[in-house]
Amino acid sequence: MMKFNPIKTGLAVAVSLMIGAGAALAEFPERTIELIHPWSPGNAMSVSQIIAKAMSDELGVALPVISTPGAAGTKGMITAMGRPADGYTIMDGYVAPLVLQPVLGNADWTYADYKPLHAAVSNAFAIGGRPDETRWSNFEEMMAYGKANPGKLRYSSGSRNNLPHMVIAKVLQSYGVVAQNIPYSADGNAVKDLKSGVLDFSFINVGNYKQDPSAFNIMLVLSELPGAKASYDGAPSIVDLNVDLGLSGLAPMGWTWWIVHRDTPDDVTEKLRTAMTAAMKRPDVREAIEAVGFVPLDWDHTQYEEIVGPVSGQLGAMGNALAWEEEELKKLK
Amino acid sequence: MVIRRKHLNVLVTLFFAVVIAVVFQQIATDMAEQGIASGGPYDNAAAYPRTIALLLGFLIVLKIAVGLVFRTPSTEPDEGIEVASLSKPFLMLVVFAVYLSLLSWIGYHIATPPMLLAVMYIAGVRNPVALIALALGMSLFFAFMFEFFLKIVLPGGVFRLVIPWS
Amino acid sequence: MIVDSLADGFALFLTPLAIGLTLLGVLFGLLIGALPGLGPLMGIILMLPVVIGLPPVAAMGFLIAIFVGGSCGGSISAILLRIPGTPLAAATLFDGFPMAQKGRASDAIGIAISASALGGLFGGIVLIMASPLLANFAANFAPPEYSMLAITGLIAISVISGGSVINGLIAGCFGLLLATIGTDEFSTGYRFTFGSHHMLNGFHIVAVVVGLFAISEMAHQMMGKDMLKSPDIDVARPGLGTIILTMKHWINVLRSSTIGAFFGALPGAGGVISSFTSYAAAKALSKSDEKYGEGAEGGVVATEAANNATVGGTLVPTLALGIPGDASSAMLLGALLILGIIPGPEMFVHNGEIVGGIFLVYLASNVLLLFVGIMVTPMFVYVLKIPKSHLVPIVLLLCSIGTFALQASVFDLMVMFAFGLIGILFRATNIPLAPVVIGIILGPLLENNFRRSMLISQDGLWIFAERPVSAVLAVINVVLIAGAVVLTLRGWRRSLASAEA
Repeated sequence: MMKFNPIKTGLAVAVSLMIGAGAALAEFPERTIELIHPWSPGNAMSVSQIIAKAMSDELGVALPVISTPGAAGTKGMITAMGRPADGYTIMDGYVAPLVLQPVLGNADWTYADYKPLHAAVSNAFAIGGRPDETRWSNFEEMMAYGKANPGKLRYSSGSRNNLPHMVIAKVLQSYGVVAQNIPYSADGNAVKDLKSGVLDFSFINVGNYKQDPSAFNIMLVLSELPGAKASYDGAPSIVDLNVDLGLSGLAPMGWTWWIVHRDTPDDVTEKLRTAMTAAMKRPDVREAIEAVGFVPLDWDHTQYEEIVGPVSGQLGAMGNALAWEEEELKKLK
Repeated sequence: MVIRRKHLNVLVTLFFAVVIAVVFQQIATDMAEQGIASGGPYDNAAAYPRTIALLLGFLIVLKIAVGLVFRTPSTEPDEGIEVASLSKPFLMLVVFAVYLSLLSWIGYHIATPPMLLAVMYIAGVRNPVALIALALGMSLFFAFMFEFFLKIVLPGGVFRLVIPWS
Repeated sequence: MIVDSLADGFALFLTPLAIGLTLLGVLFGLLIGALPGLGPLMGIILMLPVVIGLPPVAAMGFLIAIFVGGSCGGSISAILLRIPGTPLAAATLFDGFPMAQKGRASDAIGIAISASALGGLFGGIVLIMASPLLANFAANFAPPEYSMLAITGLIAISVISGGSVINGLIAGCFGLLLATIGTDEFSTGYRFTFGSHHMLNGFHIVAVVVGLFAISEMAHQMMGKDMLKSPDIDVARPGLGTIILTMKHWINVLRSSTIGAFFGALPGAGGVISSFTSYAAAKALSKSDEKYGEGAEGGVVATEAANNATVGGTLVPTLALGIPGDASSAMLLGALLILGIIPGPEMFVHNGEIVGGIFLVYLASNVLLLFVGIMVTPMFVYVLKIPKSHLVPIVLLLCSIGTFALQASVFDLMVMFAFGLIGILFRATNIPLAPVVIGIILGPLLENNFRRSMLISQDGLWIFAERPVSAVLAVINVVLIAGAVVLTLRGWRRSLASAEA
């Protein structure tokens, strides 16, 4: 905690009360910076708090994380971008509000509308079932079962129309399998209902898996990156499938890239970039992020277009998977 | 002028009637346009609020009916309340409403002392030194507690007025 | 095995840092719980960055102590000011505030703190002894069971709403409707948002609670005559005697803690439901000479024992399954992960000493709550000595900052004000406010789990009958509803007969 200097503060109070707007001329940052996080409190928020804490050490001011959930992350995005573009508000730019919701037509911005600071973290998903499942033992067998029993399989991707839903729907579409997604308010409850046999399969993140590896049969890791496969102890990944999903890099994964409003002054943005780059390089930060089951990312702001661009393109190309699933489910009714 | 319980009962019944009407109006317009007013449990977001609104309506009707059946001749005298006696709470609410609506525009540090001062004045404090000292003191004290210890950013307003405590 | 864990954990806990932080956490929790707006969740979020890098048991001691203190702190403002500091304490004011009115403010707070600590300790014993068993039970609690449980919670409204059952149910339905505002998680459509992005996640429950209770109460206070005078109230120190006072209600403590620990162990149920249900149970089973709603000690005992036992219960799925029971334990889970410990069955095997240490800090938090709480109570009771002319503006300011701090949102302040007006209207027409709170909490639990059940089911409503636990709960619900209807009708017939006579 910072030391409180009564004389300095007293002077500062007097000065700021007198000159008011003059305070804006002082050197950035001179007060608390806020990070708008688009989800409810949970593991993802803890990860953001780790990075925020490290950035706060670099910048010398506090950097609290504010949870602003709603409408698949778009509420946080609108809130952050409605604030003054002075660098005192940073957006935790998760893929859902940044890329996916615009692709689905639920938001009127694109990722290119913002200034990136640095890539933060990614989080790979897998499709998991129970180890004691008698109807199938691997993904191909489950797909065969699903094909023979249209509309009977129950799964959860967490929320409806989120990134895991899109990727799972794409996979199922490639196999011609229609299954019912069950949305949950908290991912943990979906995992719980998978374990107790209410669901047939579910999306599992690295954190869920690490808590209880023997409770899951990880059938398909939804990433082609070798690191993701390793996080699930070498379970089969989309590379091992016979179908090409057209997904690579970050496209099938959850990730966040911290961004600021595009009107933010360059010198301010530069300071934030330097601080975040330093924070992301710290070994203790990386270790803490990995402990939560997320992967720290190394891309800096110059690679934003190169990395996020293809994600946007690939998600756009498979946008019909969700619509396809809805149509097929309606036909079965 | 006197406000009686029966006037208030009409008012609260009207309030709930408006709530129910808004539910049905939204289902018929906004939710129908979004395509979430029909279908199964996956797509139909209207069925549940409609059911609860109907239940609420049923309870209101039941309440009125019960009130008519058991109209026991004034076991509780409805003397009502003089409108004049409501002036202080009313003024407090007005001051508070003005404060909240100005807060994001002129910021915490400019808006708060006048609000505190006005509420204390309405409550009967007349000593000008006490009014000013307490209003400024409380405003700064709580700003310090929240901003310095809890790192909460209070509204700065268009002047971006913030106190760098450290 | 658990004995080994506790023994190993003892060394980790018995450090000046861990004990000091636990003490500090309890104090901070009490304070942040007592302030209108901020509660244990915000306390944990705000302090999490501070503990990154500390030894795990000391760090968790601080955060868990905030959770424990914060779950109790809300009762202090409920008792003194008729303002629940957190939604958890909404049921505490039923009897806590009347007790204070009768000059027993110190006793009421003493009882609230003792009951919280005893309930919390009971929850701790459950946590230590029955973790695997309860975790297993909770793991099999699926959407159909949650739907049935939510209906049981709604029935509790008719028991708690003293004078008029119909008014209570009306308020409950209003709460249920409020909970539908925002993004529907099934259709992903927007309900009642009127095109405003502020409404995309509905109203923040704390903004609603602060408005309904605090703003309306301040308006009420402004009607008082002598606002400049310092109220002539005896600020007695609640001695450790209040522990004995609480112990006299030992059956109530045990029952309420059991209810609290049970609801805590079910992810998603939480403290508000357990405190209301315990209150309803205590009231329904009370002797006729105990006047619930008019300052019965049992009412304070029931709600406070329950909501602190919930904390212990919540740690069961959080630690044993890695599934957080509520938002506060979700943050604790995140903190554990940051500290390098993975909760879940593996933790009990590989990090037994940490499990033991966490159990110990939880127990210690409750013991400290008892002593620290009773020592600082006079400081809080002193609030009653402040003249209304000064108290009202301070409370208004605290409500504004506390509500704003939740999401740094001015919109939340508008919501708070609007609900202040609604609270005034409801009070003037005898519509109870507390059922609105339980309605908001139960709303999503009921709707989402019902729709989830219907999606999971391959044969419609039969899913509720096919699963044994849900079937039993359904039968209990039918019996309770039938009983409530019969009792109400009998009451009407009686008053009709007396009116005609």
